Amino acid sequence: MTETTEIMTETLILTEALKTALTARFTALADDEITLSHRVAEWTGHAPLLEEDIALANIAQDELGHGTLWLGLRAALDGSNADALAYHRDAAEYRNVPLTELPKGDWAFTMVRQYLFDAWEVLWLDTARQSSYVPLAEAAAQALREEKFHLQHTALWVERLALGTPESTRRMQDALNQLWAYALGLFDPLPAEADAVAAGLLPDVAALQTRWLGLVRGHLEGVGLSIPSASELSASPLPYSRSQHTEHLAPLLADFQRVAREFPESQVW
Amino acid sequence: MSELPRWEVFKQDGPGKVHQAVGSVHAGDGQHALFTARSVFARRPAAVSLWVARADHIFALTKQELDAGKGLSEGNGGTFYIFGKKTNRRSMTLGDHLGTLEASNPQAALEAARTQYGDDLLVWWLVPDSALVRSTDSAETVESWFAPAKDKTYKQQSSYGVVGQHASAHKKAVRGGDHD
Amino acid sequence: MTQIQNASASAPVLAALPVETPEQLEAFEARIAAGEKIEPGDWMPAEYRRQLIRMISQHAHSEVVGMLPEGEWIRFAPSLKRKLILMAKVQDEAGHGQYLYHAAETLGATREEMVDALLSGKAKYSSIFNYPTHSWADVGMIGWLVDGAAIKNQTMLAGCSYGPYSRAMVRICSEETFHHKQGKEMIVLYAQGTPKQREMAQDALNRWWWPSLMMLGPHDADSPNSGVLSRWGVKLKSNDEVRQEYMNEHVPELLEAGLTIPDSDLHQDEQGNWRHGAIDWTEFWAVVKGERGLNKERLGARQQAHTDGAWVRDALDAYAVRESGATRA
Repeated sequence: MTETTEIMTETLILTEALKTALTARFTALADDEITLSHRVAEWTGHAPLLEEDIALANIAQDELGHGTLWLGLRAALDGSNADALAYHRDAAEYRNVPLTELPKGDWAFTMVRQYLFDAWEVLWLDTARQSSYVPLAEAAAQALREEKFHLQHTALWVERLALGTPESTRRMQDALNQLWAYALGLFDPLPAEADAVAAGLLPDVAALQTRWLGLVRGHLEGVGLSIPSASELSASPLPYSRSQHTEHLAPLLADFQRVAREFPESQVW
Repeated sequence: MSELPRWEVFKQDGPGKVHQAVGSVHAGDGQHALFTARSVFARRPAAVSLWVARADHIFALTKQELDAGKGLSEGNGGTFYIFGKKTNRRSMTLGDHLGTLEASNPQAALEAARTQYGDDLLVWWLVPDSALVRSTDSAETVESWFAPAKDKTYKQQSSYGVVGQHASAHKKAVRGGDHD
Repeated sequence: MTQIQNASASAPVLAALPVETPEQLEAFEARIAAGEKIEPGDWMPAEYRRQLIRMISQHAHSEVVGMLPEGEWIRFAPSLKRKLILMAKVQDEAGHGQYLYHAAETLGATREEMVDALLSGKAKYSSIFNYPTHSWADVGMIGWLVDGAAIKNQTMLAGCSYGPYSRAMVRICSEETFHHKQGKEMIVLYAQGTPKQREMAQDALNRWWWPSLMMLGPHDADSPNSGVLSRWGVKLKSNDEVRQEYMNEHVPELLEAGLTIPDSDLHQDEQGNWRHGAIDWTEFWAVVKGERGLNKERLGARQQAHTDGAWVRDALDAYAVRESGATRA
């Protein structure tokens, strides 16, 4: 591709700057889905109930499917290859939010993380359906169908565990305390995204945060959980971001990329 | 705690088709059972609706029991969903939803069902309306719970059809015919 | 009264062995001969029930433990597509275990009893899952050979006389074909791939070939449970017959893929049947008894999942009790 290439979608003209912003967002979305899917799949064979092995494997497949969808959108912009991006970038090049790379933890941790993420994703996709970049609008509509089910499913689990036994309530509150600050990281705007937002290509994540807070606060507090206060959060801000990962991402990628990197000459799997 | 209760699952494959008994799931409560049923029984196409009912709330009788003069236990009257197994043919499902009727108790519902749906069914299941938990029939639910399974072609054997054709051709050449 | 719940209430009666008259047995066998399916609630010999519970629960355990050797490789899958496929496949194993526990539950066994029997080592599962997985190609080879062998058995069982078991098998067979084909696709690809991929595929075949033959069970002369199971329409073919079908399908395909089968006595007889050399059953029995292989690790992983999940199941129960206001035993 040369820098003079311009992609026309209806009346929209994509400048290089807008393409860069879209590419960065698609990469961030894909990396979120790929890492989260990897963590969720770690439950397969180890869930608390055989039926839940099956349920979690559905979520893991759906998220990985969405990851592939986002990498496909990126490929349409820059000619990249999905597997090459997923399997041959280091932790320093991954752009997922630290929330999704944290180890799977217990069932409460898994369900709270998934719930917070699903709520974000439903809202992001719902807005992205209106994107003036048609391929994004179409992909968002497609992924949104599954995410709506995910959100219902994890909301159901949050309710049952929060209201179940003293132990389950305690585990849920612990998980929420640990995860909340990480979840807020979903709403950090990407560098250079502002113009794409202004042009109606990408959702405004700051505006989404308000909707998200309303949605999850209502449910979490409705089942008796308490959300860490703003003062608690500002007392110990997270040193992590999409470009500054926790120590957990590198080992995740070492597993994820193990075979692919062992056979660098193999193009076909 | 003893194990979580078992819920029988009824799946409708498409508009205009009847719900069929496909198996069961263990779950805490009706809503949880419904979501679990979706994970277990609708991970491949096709489905448009699911019902669940606690196994111990269903009244069941086989033809053999009926012929031996057995009846159903006492229970409340109301609306009953009638399911029946019609043939010994190999199948993935126990039986079909035949219809719904009102009766003053389970035994009366069974008598009415025999009159209405024939007396030669092999298994009868009567599910009280009050025991059923149903997925929503809205287009949005169908789109989000069931439709995406159609796009997951990687878990369908038809996606792998071409592979090994050369090998089976070889087998035929060696054996002079398909051994199946 | 014949609520479905009664099936489990009748379980303790089994130990007392209800009186069975020759007339009952004759009528039962006549139904089987006529191709009728036996359904929960129907009269059946206590031995039929006992054998079915043993066989179905063992089969269910095999599916559940069978998630582990391949499940380990989900995190290592070398492409996004393979990862997706493997997640779906291992998910199916859980599903198949789930369908089979259901079938055994209709005979009066409870999920809890069956899981306890597995975890305590009282119940067996297919020893094939005690073999370690060494490379990514093992995933493909398990699909092609182990699932290929399993399908032969399952296709037979889909025609069995017990309705719930037959139905579970019909459902399982339709899904298992995907497992078989995705494994075959992978291995055929690697056998034609880079030298390292070819080597990996051949190494996997070397390790899985004999276990896949052995998983179809002892030779007919040494199979203690087969007599009554075939008489009552559960096992419609003998172990050796099923093994022969498996050989005839797989040998030509493996050869066509360019792989070498690790059996110097392998040959085709005058009827066209592919014949294997002598099977080393001492290894098989050592693995069955847990003297060799990963029995302890597999059960340890399942025990861990069960123990770690106890608080989750308790929470679901407590929530349900609270919502319904009802109590439950």
